[in-house]
Amino acid sequence: MGVLAREVEALRDTLRGWADTARRLWIGRPGAARTAAIVFAAGAAIAGLAALLVQVRLPGRLPAPRDWAALRVLVERDARPGDAVALSPAWAERARGILPSSVTVLAHGRWEGEDLLGVRRVWLVSLPRAPGFSWRAESDLLQRAARPGIPARLGAIEVTRLELAFPAIPLAFLPDRVAQAKDPAEGAVREVREVAGIPRPCLVVGGGGAPLTLPLSFEPVLVGRLVRGHLGAVGTAGLRAPVRVAVRVDGEEAGAAEVSGAGFVPFQIDTTRFASRVRHLSMVLTLPGGEGQLCLDAATLP
Amino acid sequence: MPRRGDAPVSPSPRAQGRSGPGRLAAAWAVATFAALAALQGAPGIPRDEGALVARAEGGIVSLARGGTPPLGPALAGAAHAAGSRLGLSHLRSFRLGSALAGALLSALLALAARTIAGPAAGLLAPALFWLAPRTLHAGLVATPDLALAALSLAAVLAWRWASSAERPAWTAGLAGALLGAAILARADAWTLALALALHAAAIGVLARREGPGVPGAAAAPAKLGIAALFCAAAVLGAWPGALKAGLGPWLPPAGGALAPLFLLAAVPLPLLWAFAGGLGHALARLAGAVRSRARDPFASDDALLVLAALAALGGSALAHAPAGARPFLHGLPFLALLGARALLRAAALAWPARQGTLAAALALLVLYPGVRSAGLAFPDGTSAWNELAGGAPGAASRGLRRQDGGEAAGALLATVNARAAPGARIWWPGISPAAVALYARDGRLRPDLAEAAGPDDADLAVVALDGGSRDAEYRAWSALRTARPAAGVYVDEVPTALVYARPGAWR
Repeated sequence: MGVLAREVEALRDTLRGWADTARRLWIGRPGAARTAAIVFAAGAAIAGLAALLVQVRLPGRLPAPRDWAALRVLVERDARPGDAVALSPAWAERARGILPSSVTVLAHGRWEGEDLLGVRRVWLVSLPRAPGFSWRAESDLLQRAARPGIPARLGAIEVTRLELAFPAIPLAFLPDRVAQAKDPAEGAVREVREVAGIPRPCLVVGGGGAPLTLPLSFEPVLVGRLVRGHLGAVGTAGLRAPVRVAVRVDGEEAGAAEVSGAGFVPFQIDTTRFASRVRHLSMVLTLPGGEGQLCLDAATLP
Repeated sequence: MPRRGDAPVSPSPRAQGRSGPGRLAAAWAVATFAALAALQGAPGIPRDEGALVARAEGGIVSLARGGTPPLGPALAGAAHAAGSRLGLSHLRSFRLGSALAGALLSALLALAARTIAGPAAGLLAPALFWLAPRTLHAGLVATPDLALAALSLAAVLAWRWASSAERPAWTAGLAGALLGAAILARADAWTLALALALHAAAIGVLARREGPGVPGAAAAPAKLGIAALFCAAAVLGAWPGALKAGLGPWLPPAGGALAPLFLLAAVPLPLLWAFAGGLGHALARLAGAVRSRARDPFASDDALLVLAALAALGGSALAHAPAGARPFLHGLPFLALLGARALLRAAALAWPARQGTLAAALALLVLYPGVRSAGLAFPDGTSAWNELAGGAPGAASRGLRRQDGGEAAGALLATVNARAAPGARIWWPGISPAAVALYARDGRLRPDLAEAAGPDDADLAVVALDGGSRDAEYRAWSALRTARPAAGVYVDEVPTALVYARPGAWR
């Protein structure tokens, strides 16, 4: 008991000493103005050092020329027809000038709802240490992948090969067929235009502002179970009024869709009864007045 | 600032004696002019500068009748006339006006800072303003921003002078005339009138609170306001086109409400800290003055500087200011004044025995990241974003602007000259036609290269990427049958300008 009492007394003395020190410090504390000045000066020093640290570390978080060169070598060696390179973040577009021109380079912020026509395999090129990097693009693509590959590091670049679980391989991409037609539809031009922030290879139609019924005929194509396409307004957020899109096969209407809304709006027509044959395909667009230019893509799918 | 223990932070009385306020201001003015004039040849021409140059060449009458403020083009036109006689290139001549405005701004900043916080502040405040990528860039191009900043500061200093004691009415008239001139530089400067009106109201309230013992004090604000308004209106008479232009130049465009927030991402972090500290310091002093209910001659200064800074920041939301991070540039001199005072005051309070050393160390830590950032970003100052935004890459990820309006293409001219096929026709989407014409007049573009009207006629497309729509670039892909750039300008891997070439048009 005597030992315990001595220990307790020693503990009390220690605590009393600490309390006295704290009291003295509290009594001798700087005034509010001086405290604020110390905090502000310390903050300025920390802000300065933090800014320098961020600036100095930035080049190391971005790809060096040798990283891009390594990526080019890798893609040149292993790329196959049906491969596309997806960039994340989308501004990492130096890849366009570096990668072989045989490979399609896609720079989209999000991939949700994008068809990725003709793409079987995606090379996801990401800069995971770049400022502002987000995993959303990765997440979108991983959800569509059957077999995600093992990421490879090329300096600041990370490359992952993804086999798409359900690749959309078109039998025919219709905007490419109208350009080859003997009598191309009046007012339809094959271009790449920006719709919903993404480059879209499409037929650009309309733009006059007046109501219009526009027939578009294509050279004979192999027809499958579906004609799937998209329609969007160029330069505005969305279609002002519904646009009717009718698909005709060998002169017979296979179906029609009323397309409206924001972005690159999808539509699809069932063509099962015409499937597996090369046929004359045409579309009729009924445009309400007041629309600007519209971007139309469509493909026949198996 | 000399009040209640806020002794001015100065090296020593002997040093004060050596460097008079005039000499310090003159030194800053000369250094600023020399630096800006030396660097002005490098940056490309943004869209607004192209438009201003085109207007400057239209003559004085067309300037006055036009729907946009005439002072910027008039200054550029006068500078061009003088610079051409000196043998300078067209571009450098037009930009000389900005160097002059920058020199005036530096001198005023040094004088004002020395007056309110001592000689060390006179050294520090101009450095706090200039040593950042965007403010430096503003001094290198012929936009009205720097003239607006100099005139705003001059108007506020004149107003302070007029309201500090029983001054003759012409001093208020001078403030009004300078305010009118600031509005002639950029119409969104009208928000500064709001700040001066609020300041007049505040000193009126203070004077009433102090009672009838202060002779003429209550009447002073009204007199000041009337004299200033009269002179501002007289100066604005030089712009009859304002009446025809309607409300467009004065009211905000849609979606401008968030514009002041750009400040958080556009100024280097340590400067932002200093500015925020300066603003907080001034507000704390004002709150102290209001609480103490005693006559405080310095409360008026604090109120004036805070109101002027907030007017410029608010102006980017309330008035038709340019897009991006330029709207609040004329508020930064006031923030630099407050920030310099706060830094020096903090050093003096935090470590009185070593205040000079601490102040120098803090100044170095606050200024060096800005200097480094400005050096690395040069000449693409408008592509620079601060550490909070993650620099250019972080800003691009967040959809912030990559440049003001096509100036990054200037860095591609040498490559285009070297690689374009003879007689190639070039399409310039996103780049001002006036800028292209000026590049050609200055010999920066090969004379055999022609301008194409659209992508279908073009052999090359030089595309500026500002973070907005890229439809023009995609049209170039279609017309030139390639999505692979032949050359590009990248700021920390973020593309700001790209060249696309038809097969055979690029050697």
